[in-house]
Amino acid sequence: MKIFFYKSLLVLFLFLIGFHYSFNYVAKEIKNNIENNFSKEKIEIIKKKLKEEMNVAIDKDDFISKEDAVLINNFFNKIKSDLNRK
Amino acid sequence: MTLNSNQRTLILILFYFFSSILALTTYQDYGIHIEEKFHRLNGFYWLNYTSNLFGFSEIQKIAEIKMNEISDFSLSSVSHYNKYSVLLDLPSALVEILFKINDVKNIYYLKHLFSFFLFLVSSIFFFKILYFRYKNFLLSFLGLFLYVTTPRILGDSFLYKDVLFLSIFSITFYFLIRSIHQFNYKNLLLFGIFCSLSLNLRFFSILIPFFFVLAILIKSFGSKQFKENFKKIFFYLLCFFISLYIFWPYLWANPIINFIDLFISAKNNLVDVKIFYNNDFISNRILPDTYILNWIFLTTPFLQTIFFILGFFYCVFRFIRRYININDRTFQNDLWRGNAEKIDFIFLIYLALFYFFFIFLNAPFYNGWRLVYFFNIFLIYFAINFLFNFTNIFRKKKSYIILIFVSFILMIYNIKAIIKIHPFQSLYFNSFISEKIKNSYEGDYYGLATKHFFERILNNDNKKIIKVGVASHTPIQRGLEAISNQFRNKFVIVGQEYNKADYIFKNNISEVNSNLVKKYQIPKNFSKIYELKIDKIVIYEMFKITANKQ
Repeated sequence: MKIFFYKSLLVLFLFLIGFHYSFNYVAKEIKNNIENNFSKEKIEIIKKKLKEEMNVAIDKDDFISKEDAVLINNFFNKIKSDLNRK
Repeated sequence: MTLNSNQRTLILILFYFFSSILALTTYQDYGIHIEEKFHRLNGFYWLNYTSNLFGFSEIQKIAEIKMNEISDFSLSSVSHYNKYSVLLDLPSALVEILFKINDVKNIYYLKHLFSFFLFLVSSIFFFKILYFRYKNFLLSFLGLFLYVTTPRILGDSFLYKDVLFLSIFSITFYFLIRSIHQFNYKNLLLFGIFCSLSLNLRFFSILIPFFFVLAILIKSFGSKQFKENFKKIFFYLLCFFISLYIFWPYLWANPIINFIDLFISAKNNLVDVKIFYNNDFISNRILPDTYILNWIFLTTPFLQTIFFILGFFYCVFRFIRRYININDRTFQNDLWRGNAEKIDFIFLIYLALFYFFFIFLNAPFYNGWRLVYFFNIFLIYFAINFLFNFTNIFRKKKSYIILIFVSFILMIYNIKAIIKIHPFQSLYFNSFISEKIKNSYEGDYYGLATKHFFERILNNDNKKIIKVGVASHTPIQRGLEAISNQFRNKFVIVGQEYNKADYIFKNNISEVNSNLVKKYQIPKNFSKIYELKIDKIVIYEMFKITANKQ
């Protein structure tokens, strides 16, 4: 009977090890990725960076080149006309 | 060379005598740590509660007044975080009232001394375990010496936090071994009491009684002694729960609900911060599995770690061999042979049990490996185990000389490290670690250096009011209690409002990713005027304003 318990405990232990290094490991990796890419701090940094870039854009004389301005304008007009189509 | 009983006793007496003298002469060198205020509050909170319950109105009144006097904007609410142990806090609060200790730093220092002497007492029990196992005075004494002088552990032994648990844990472990060896009512009573004290300090100690009961039940299942053993187990559990109830006022109001709540609330109250680890700020909720091992390797004397690894793996391989050969039909159908091996087995199983418990549950550690400082008894046990097997395998006179030589090196190394880094032993890194790596991990998380910081400013600045900014997660205002009363009011802590500060305190403790969030970035109008560096570890940096505008 004692040996049966010992073996059961070993099986349980091996199961837990297997579970940890498969499922838990993947879960941890995902959490890590989320933490690294979408943490509150990271989002704050991106927001700050965006604002800085917007300020840079405002200060520039020509932020968008003429060609790009025409292209973007045409693109917006196209979307607008498509949206207005009945 | 063999020592007679008198010589052995003399060596032990001398060891404890010198340890006590050293403690008494140096205990005021250690600063005040940031959690002392909370523990003092915790002591008065429960003293107020218990004296009210027992009708000691005078004490209750004073406790209430003292409790209301303790304030700090960064202090956690004691009525919410009321599950902490009262083991040292409540008696200290009572001593403070009875002996009318008015200067708060004196009560802290007194607690430091209590904590250290309890640690010394626990070392006697550890010595007894080793002597019981190895029947070798030199090895047992070496184990005792390493137990007391492991630099990080010694540094923390004054701070009544994690080494307080290590102390109680060691005594509990002694009674665990005694109970397994002699399964009688006296041992079970003492084991039950110390188990409850361990649980009082750290809830994960519940694993000790749980696996003890399980092991006894497995052992006696189907045997003639099952009924007798079952009675003893019942007696043990009774002692355990009764003493748990007695020593923990938290349970008095509603024992069952509060006991269950202890485990439920543990999850909600877990710390969730960024920690500085391997030169990066990582969340303590997603730590690598190697976190504990890495910290142990970095901060334990190198030879000690090597001997531990060798001793541990020797026991693991022997355990595997025994497991493979186990057979119901043989006489010795167990995982050990004899009592000595049984003790190795207990150490092995409990170390594995605790280690994997933390790994499987993804325990959110912080501040190094201080939460598992109780592992130190396992580290030393297996290190001594290796040395024991080494002398056993080579049964020659030479091996004994080598053993004495190695013991000497281990002892001298620890003494040298302790002197070199005093009073910051709790920040020790082993000497093979480079300066860069030493400074790539959390440093002074207890804020012990704040005493040094304030004293240094006082020596160099005569201003009436000195404003101090804090570029760290350390609540340095609590460190003010370490300096004389008359100087405390000179300092105004302005936190991260650096534009108001004259000086800035900085260390690498941060709850946010300081590489991304610049809340602890030093403004350009401040320049570094001092850096406390011990054994290549930057303990803190001091900045002073050089221009008025940021």
